[in-house]
Amino acid sequence: GATAPGKKITARLKRTLPVRGPQAPTLSELMRWYCLNTNTHGCRRIVVSRGRLRRFIWILLTLSAVGLILWQCAELLMNYYSASVSVTVQFQKLPFPAVTICNINPYKYSSMKDYLSELDKETKKALETFYGFSEGKSKVRRSVDERNSTGSDFFKQIPLLKFEDFSKTVIDLRSGQKRKIEGSVFHKDSSIVNSGDSNDIIGFQLCDANNSSECALYTFSSGVNAIQEWYKLHYMNIMAQIPLETKEKLSYSADDLLLTCFFDGLSCDKRHFTRFHHPLHGNCYTFNSGENGTILSTSTGGSEYGLQVVLFIDEADYNPFLVTSTGAKIIVHDQNEYPFIEDIGTEIETAAATSIGMHFTRSRKLSKPYSDCTETGADIPVENLYNKSYSLQICLHSCFQKAMVDSCGCAQYAQPLPAGAEYCNYKKNPNWMYCYYRLHEKFVKEQLGCQQICKDACSFKEWALTTSIAQWPSTVSEDWMLRVLSWDKGQKINKKLNKTDLANLMVFYKDLNERFISENPANTLVILLSNFGGQLGLWMSCSVVCVIEIVEVFFIDSLSIVMRRQWQKAKKWWNDRKRDRSGKPPQAGDLERQGHDNPVCIDEDLPTFNTALRLPLPQDNPLPRTPPPNYSTLRLETAFTEQLPDTLEVGQH
Amino acid sequence: MNLKKYFIRALHRLQKGPGYTYKELLVWYCDNTNTHGPKRIIKEGPKKKLIWFFLTLLFASLVFWQWGILINTYLSYNVTSSLSIGFKTMKFPAVTVCNANPFKYSEVKHLLKELDRLIEAALERILQPTPGNSSENASPPLDLGLWHQIPLVLIDEHDKDNPIILDIFESNQADGDNQAAGGNQTAAGNQTAGGNQMAAGNETAAGNETAAGNETACSHPGSDNCTYRNFTSAAQAVTEWYILQSTSILAKVPLQERIRMGYQAEDMILACLYGAEPCNYKNFTQIYHPDHGNCYIFNWGMDEEALNSSNPGAEFGLKLILDISQQDYIPYLSSAAGARLMLHQQKSFPFLKDQGIYAMAGTETSIGVLVDELERMGYPYSDCTMNGSDVPVKNLYSQYNTSYSIQACLRSCFQNHMVEICGCGHYMFPLPEGVNYCNNEDNPGWAYCYSSLRSSIRHRQICIDSCKETCNDTQYKMTISMADWPSEASEDWIFHILSYERDMSTNVTLDRNGIIKLNIYFQEYNYRTISESAATTIVWLLSSLGGQFGFWMGGSVLCLIEFGEIIIDSLWITVINVISWCKGLKQKRVQARYPDAPPTVSELVEAHTNLGFQHEDAGALPGDEALPPEPGTPPPNYDSLRVQPLDVLSPDSDVE
Repeated sequence: GATAPGKKITARLKRTLPVRGPQAPTLSELMRWYCLNTNTHGCRRIVVSRGRLRRFIWILLTLSAVGLILWQCAELLMNYYSASVSVTVQFQKLPFPAVTICNINPYKYSSMKDYLSELDKETKKALETFYGFSEGKSKVRRSVDERNSTGSDFFKQIPLLKFEDFSKTVIDLRSGQKRKIEGSVFHKDSSIVNSGDSNDIIGFQLCDANNSSECALYTFSSGVNAIQEWYKLHYMNIMAQIPLETKEKLSYSADDLLLTCFFDGLSCDKRHFTRFHHPLHGNCYTFNSGENGTILSTSTGGSEYGLQVVLFIDEADYNPFLVTSTGAKIIVHDQNEYPFIEDIGTEIETAAATSIGMHFTRSRKLSKPYSDCTETGADIPVENLYNKSYSLQICLHSCFQKAMVDSCGCAQYAQPLPAGAEYCNYKKNPNWMYCYYRLHEKFVKEQLGCQQICKDACSFKEWALTTSIAQWPSTVSEDWMLRVLSWDKGQKINKKLNKTDLANLMVFYKDLNERFISENPANTLVILLSNFGGQLGLWMSCSVVCVIEIVEVFFIDSLSIVMRRQWQKAKKWWNDRKRDRSGKPPQAGDLERQGHDNPVCIDEDLPTFNTALRLPLPQDNPLPRTPPPNYSTLRLETAFTEQLPDTLEVGQH
Repeated sequence: MNLKKYFIRALHRLQKGPGYTYKELLVWYCDNTNTHGPKRIIKEGPKKKLIWFFLTLLFASLVFWQWGILINTYLSYNVTSSLSIGFKTMKFPAVTVCNANPFKYSEVKHLLKELDRLIEAALERILQPTPGNSSENASPPLDLGLWHQIPLVLIDEHDKDNPIILDIFESNQADGDNQAAGGNQTAAGNQTAGGNQMAAGNETAAGNETAAGNETACSHPGSDNCTYRNFTSAAQAVTEWYILQSTSILAKVPLQERIRMGYQAEDMILACLYGAEPCNYKNFTQIYHPDHGNCYIFNWGMDEEALNSSNPGAEFGLKLILDISQQDYIPYLSSAAGARLMLHQQKSFPFLKDQGIYAMAGTETSIGVLVDELERMGYPYSDCTMNGSDVPVKNLYSQYNTSYSIQACLRSCFQNHMVEICGCGHYMFPLPEGVNYCNNEDNPGWAYCYSSLRSSIRHRQICIDSCKETCNDTQYKMTISMADWPSEASEDWIFHILSYERDMSTNVTLDRNGIIKLNIYFQEYNYRTISESAATTIVWLLSSLGGQFGFWMGGSVLCLIEFGEIIIDSLWITVINVISWCKGLKQKRVQARYPDAPPTVSELVEAHTNLGFQHEDAGALPGDEALPPEPGTPPPNYDSLRVQPLDVLSPDSDVE
């Protein structure tokens, strides 16, 4: 009574269960059934072939086909993240890039003399001591007598030294005394270690202020390099103490730099330029910076439709030690890019017309997982100190600055300030120079890890420049040109301009073809699937259906067969044990009801149209009961005639 | 009769389908199709059947979806690019050399004399505003007629609301309230004031400035329809004004005369060496370029075969020595001195203003060349033109026998607009037929018309939209380097020899300011070719479609045909059903003689297992009991529509 509802429920469950158990009672039968009924091609031949050799060959072929499929599909998967490159050229109205123009000399020397007189005096003294010549003909006179002792102790701290030889005996510039120094020697010029005429070696020593035994010695093969480097070091120190507003005033104004301006056939003036203060180049002016929201564009190529400016380079007001070349520096960049003028600027000669033809190329890489680039830089753990969009340069500079602030406690002068930090100067951070040089060396040797952290940007714009120079003004037009340009300059300069104070610059698009190089995913999911399908189809005429079949047969069905067998074994063992205990005779029906006789295996549904129509199943042929006929087994009719009673049998259930 | 028989037979043959009801047909299809899913629907038990049914449906829809994507991809005509770099023997580029200055000043002086005096006087007035210094006015009177066409004026914008406009010459009638002599004074004074103000640096940012130079262009003299072109720099204003005026003067000069006034090849090209072979000015093709006068093209390939270069390096390139004779420059026309040169393809027109570079006098300029080619596929892959024939702009440069280029198209487009609107052609561009160049006498308003057209964004956009770039884009990437030449030590003998060779004189007629050496050669890698190929071809499409179909359902084209067959069969069944229904209706109306019951399952089974549906060879078995009925027996009532009897009717039975 109590078991009846349970049985009912299991029966019902069995009825409603979607799956009725495996297709065959034993594993080998299941395999056979699978091979005969599967949609893949090789398997069937294994079963159908006669002769051991033939069968063996077919097994081999099928297995190798499977292997090939797996290999090829793995290959397809591995190559999934590959990119193809496409280049498109579009002829269109092009946005004009931002053009940043700087004077090579950062600050007017005449206005800087208050700050630099001490340093200059020291430099001149060094020149006198080491090279024995008196004060050079500097164009702007400075008051030598003015003794300002604020910085002198600092100069004493890091003096220029002349090396007697490599025995580490040096002549101090100030005292003229010989003394021994210790510390590791760094050569700024790499391949100078031919110590034959070491008398010429000049350098300076940087020591850790807290621990004076730790010193680094920087030597240079040429006094020119040594003096410039030494001057720059002190110069940066001085400049770091001057506030930005003062520095902007000390540098060139837009009126100073720009004499005439002409863009796209129309006149322009300083209002089209945006001031941009560069720590090393002073005031720079950016044309078309997009600051007021509009970006100019050109709809015609050619030199007359580009930007034409005449620059006033006041050569007389140059700093003799800091910069040794004359001219201007320009850089063509995108409005969102930071102009790294010290790194990638193009120099403009004076007394010449420099014509710069541009060709615009835009590139785009695919980001992860195709390549290791970054779209916005947001995923880089380095804070962007520049107020511009991400680039590799920005990342490297920011990374170095961060390391500088972390290890030296102050920020390097040439790069923007991180929040809460201030620029290094000798008064507050007496140790910074040594620290900086050490850190810079580490940075160059990639020991700071910046090069590993920073990734390149995925998209970038490039203006390929073709620079050529012509003489300007020509000898016959020089006279009137200089006169008119002097008049343009206004009353400020009473004298006539010199042509070496002027530089003419033309920046224009050579053509309005924009080249766009982009990476596209070579594969999409659709293509991958088609390729899979192609491979599966080529080797085995297989499809997803086959895969499902395989899953069904090899996993679900096989598993259920194995499970059932185990279950029956366990049951048998249990029964045996019980029988052993109770001594009951074994029940024959329990064990024999397997396979087709097993009600679990067989559809309990009434014979419908479809089941009735079911074609003869070949697997039923080798039923253990009837030995297969010799030849006719392969025939349909025979199979069918034999089948009929079988079907009827099933129907009787 | 014969036809009817044939027709019936064909009908019967067509009719020989796999079943007589939709269900039969469907079952037969599912069982026999080569696609993988439907078979399972038939073969499985009722529960699994459902699963398989839905799986098959899902896969079929997936296949169709993915096919849609694939066909879409194909129709987007993507391209892939392949890059190749290396060195190969290539055609040496055509080299165009020009002087930056179009004409010898000594030759054009008589034409520009009036203009020059005018501009000198004007400059005098601008620069030295003190009225006492007017001694030069004693010279012959100025041709103010020229001046009035397009006068130069000073605009003082210190007072932003009513800017003061000052004509530089006294004869200013436009502004009655400004006295002539005082006008100059005022101009100078204001300029001074402006300068001071700027120096003080306390000006408000916008608008409060002095427009230094200005030119006015009116559509008609004396009319109110005038525009001012503002320049902040007097140098710019003077140059632009001079170009405008000289253009008008030179436009009247016939072409032959203009060529004569320019630099001659033998004067300009002093030495030439291509590889190891000497060449001279006769190897250059002369072309008249409106910007630069006479230009000379080496290796243009118009008449003779283009030269090949099969070695990299300066030794195997083109070496030229040019003389630009800077002393003979027109002072106000071009302020930059040098040679203008350009590398371009054979048979193409050199657009020096766009692609040209300068070479400086007194230097040796070395140019390493890399040919950067881009070969694109035309329509429908990219919107480019192969030879310009499909561009709706008449190419005016075809008169030079040159090939289409986008620059030529843009200029032709502009000139066509100019002719259309202003009634005359601009001097800088070639003329369409039956049109003359603009000049002040015939077309008094042309300068106004031209400058408004030039600044018109709309017209530019029309040209940009109508011109197409060429599919094969070749650029010559140049690596330019310079050195001083000749060196001080060699200067003397080089000048002597070159002067002797040119003028047969023992005196030095050349100097550093005129002489230019050029080396043009291929780099070690002389080409970089980016060529496009279709990313999706029809083969790709078919294999992808096949892949998709195969992946989800194991199907092929044959499966599609099977499916089509089934549809045809089902149509036949419909037809037959309709016919039988009609017949039945007729028969019912006449007499209900055969009240047929619908086929039972067993009948259907029988139908299915009927030999007619079995394989052919099965039916052909010898000694088979289940042979088809004798041909003479009339078909049974129900089976009349079946294949079997019809099959018996097949050709071998000629009973009828």
